[in-house]
Amino acid sequence: MTGLSLGEKLFIQGGIAQDLRTDGRKRLTYRPIYVETGVIPQANGSARVQFGGTDVIASVKAEIGRPNPMQPDKGKVMINVSCSPTAAPIFEGRGDEEVSAELTVTLQRCLLGGKSGAGAGIDPTSLVVVEGKVCWDLYIDGLVISSDGNLLDALGAAIKAALSNTGIPQVQVAADASGEDRPEVDISDEEFLQFDTSGVPVIITLTKVGRHYIVDATGEEESQMSSAVSISINRKGHICGLSKRGGAGLDHSVILDMISVARHVSEQLLNKLDSEISAAEAVQNEL
Amino acid sequence: MTGKGSATPATYSPSPTSRKGKPPAYKDGDLNWARPDGRGFQQCRPAYFRTGAVNAASGSAYVEIGNTKVIVSVFGPRESKKAMKYSDIGRLNCNVSYTSFSTPVRGQQLDHKEYSSMLHKALEGAIILESFPKTTVDVFALVLESGGSDLPIVISCASLALADAGIMMYDLVASVSVYSLGVNLVIDPISEEESYQDGSLLISYMPSRKEVTQLTVTGEWSTDKINEAMNICLDACGKLGEIMRMCLKEAASVSSEVNLGRPGGRLKGLQGA
Amino acid sequence: MGLPNESGDLLSKMDSDASRRLFPLRFYESHLSISTRPDGRPLKSAREAFVGPGDVASADGSAMTKIGSTTMLAAIKMEIMTPSADKPDEGSIAVEFYMPPICSPLVRPGRPAEIAPVISKQLYDTIMSSGMIDLKELSLISGKAAWMVYLDIYCLDADGALFDAALYSAAAAFSFLQIPVVSLSEEGRLTIIPEEGNGNKSDKDVVNKGKRKLTISSLPFSLTCGLHKNYILPDPTSEEETLMETFVTVVLNSSGHLVSLYKPGGPVLAQTSTIQDCIALTRQRMTDLQKSLDEAITEMKVD
Repeated sequence: MTGLSLGEKLFIQGGIAQDLRTDGRKRLTYRPIYVETGVIPQANGSARVQFGGTDVIASVKAEIGRPNPMQPDKGKVMINVSCSPTAAPIFEGRGDEEVSAELTVTLQRCLLGGKSGAGAGIDPTSLVVVEGKVCWDLYIDGLVISSDGNLLDALGAAIKAALSNTGIPQVQVAADASGEDRPEVDISDEEFLQFDTSGVPVIITLTKVGRHYIVDATGEEESQMSSAVSISINRKGHICGLSKRGGAGLDHSVILDMISVARHVSEQLLNKLDSEISAAEAVQNEL
Repeated sequence: MTGKGSATPATYSPSPTSRKGKPPAYKDGDLNWARPDGRGFQQCRPAYFRTGAVNAASGSAYVEIGNTKVIVSVFGPRESKKAMKYSDIGRLNCNVSYTSFSTPVRGQQLDHKEYSSMLHKALEGAIILESFPKTTVDVFALVLESGGSDLPIVISCASLALADAGIMMYDLVASVSVYSLGVNLVIDPISEEESYQDGSLLISYMPSRKEVTQLTVTGEWSTDKINEAMNICLDACGKLGEIMRMCLKEAASVSSEVNLGRPGGRLKGLQGA
Repeated sequence: MGLPNESGDLLSKMDSDASRRLFPLRFYESHLSISTRPDGRPLKSAREAFVGPGDVASADGSAMTKIGSTTMLAAIKMEIMTPSADKPDEGSIAVEFYMPPICSPLVRPGRPAEIAPVISKQLYDTIMSSGMIDLKELSLISGKAAWMVYLDIYCLDADGALFDAALYSAAAAFSFLQIPVVSLSEEGRLTIIPEEGNGNKSDKDVVNKGKRKLTISSLPFSLTCGLHKNYILPDPTSEEETLMETFVTVVLNSSGHLVSLYKPGGPVLAQTSTIQDCIALTRQRMTDLQKSLDEAITEMKVD
């Protein structure tokens, strides 16, 4: 972030305190959200999401793999994020590594649930073809094209949209081969299974500036944060992951308050995203 | 079969010794299961802390909690890397690594990037970075043996090492994690419990300031459960903070009494006798 | 010309901590001239050594040693391997020496210490050439299975004489080693039986019953001496190591035979008597080290 003058800093902070941010939004209002699906034809599913000046792409690729012997009834999901050097000056060279690694870890934490697989946004048991032998491996890749704050929430939304756009090919297992160690499978290139994305949570980052917290902070606003908490919440209103992004300490009652604010916001965001996603799907199908 | 170091081409993979032949500690839906080490669900393992484990460092601490053994050394404040730009507040640089024999299977994840960045986040809110402008404080942790709850133990140990190095802090940071296993919440989990967990919650907390410096949650939680888990953790952090404070007081009173102890005086201390 | 005198005057005025940092050599030599070393030792004595079990539960044998504040933690893990075709009845040993960033202000993550691989190699050569371990003893089934012994030594605190402390910890780790019990399954595969599972396994499957200890013929012990002008200074600290001109490392086995002698560069030694002095010092040191190790072994048996 390029340096801000003291006046600019105070202006941002003062605006947030008065519930009128520099771009005219209230504290809990999002920037315009734009969703486009099917942007990468060779992927099984993809989506591009813009939150104001923040622009990200997510793609989902499914490949046939072998389940982990420790968890024979589950497929594997891999998440990886990278930041394009054009997104922001600090991403040039190897500057994106730290940010990319942090986004990757946080997304894994928010979407993949506990070690046993409970609470995962993407049900790993639905990816199994033959227990212990064949499963789908999902490779989810995120790319940040343009960065103006709130990268995590945008990536979370893009992954959600990409997953609803994903079709996984129907698989036929040869009837006599199911006893073999590596059964032969027949992958259909016409029939696809739609992915159940109702359990995929949204991620809401509450950025604390002064005494108040805001959603969907821009890059300038993020530079003024004292701390930020990212909370992922599903349709049921359950928390699927939470991580505090460093910064100053918070009283635990503040965190609980943030959780209840995030639950409130999540409902609106989920509805908004769902309608944007179905609109985008409709546009894609027309083409 | 298993992904081992490249130097071991022809070994049969001996399975992790401690896990074979034991019935799983927890099965789905079993309400009356017992923890593998016989503890109560909300009972922490006894903690042993000691400062000054490494003489070559500005400050250091050794922690032993169950089978988890960690050493943290603090170096600095010292000159920042040449490439770093001017900064009017100090920098904190953290690194967490494992010994090759720390886990049952030899030579895995020697350098732990994720824990390094989590350690950084847990500590940065507690250190008064303004007190050492332009310079860097390095916090290096080595996990000698991994027995579960490695990250919270590394965080607590690191804050004690920072205090030992005389780095200005608002408060000590005590860190504790709980796992959600079915309907139960278990505190201070050990490695065996790791693969059964449905979710985890880790808190790093400054007990005197009553502030959370870091909180991470995985898995699906209802608000009530999060609330309950946080309260259990905060309570345990408070107690852990007491133990850490006592360790610091002890070290301070000993060093003022016998300033020139034998060089071998700390030997057995590292072992946690 | 004026400079040394000036610093001499300064030296007398400054407090010792400052002069130690600004004029380390003069500070050091002023100590030597009154036959003492900065840490209070007499010239010819080594620092106190400690040896004890390393208590690493995930290893088959471990040891912790200290020489002064230099601390080493050695751990041995044993795995089953197929022996190589040209030596079907021998096991194998791998030695690795690590200097993690915690041990010294000079080591940083991603920039490993240069001397670590040098010491690894020296340790491996010394252990192999001392004959302390008979590789044939590591064989389980000739041509089929043998032990692969991984010895990993971590330096936890570096304050000079790293090789001596590391070799001592290696010797101790081998002395404390408990070989895991191995059983032969019906399909002819060997598996390591975990400790607690011993009871319910019938004894006839066990391949290496009653052979839980290695016979160690003669342990190697070493002493590094720093040479500075005419002084021979055993067991230098890291501060002393930066000031010395050269070093001589002597390794003797427990029967007093010379295993290896190592002098890395530095000025030419004018007298062979220097080497003999070093060997004599090592011989003295060896008795101390051996005694502490024997005590630690008996203590462990009592436990």
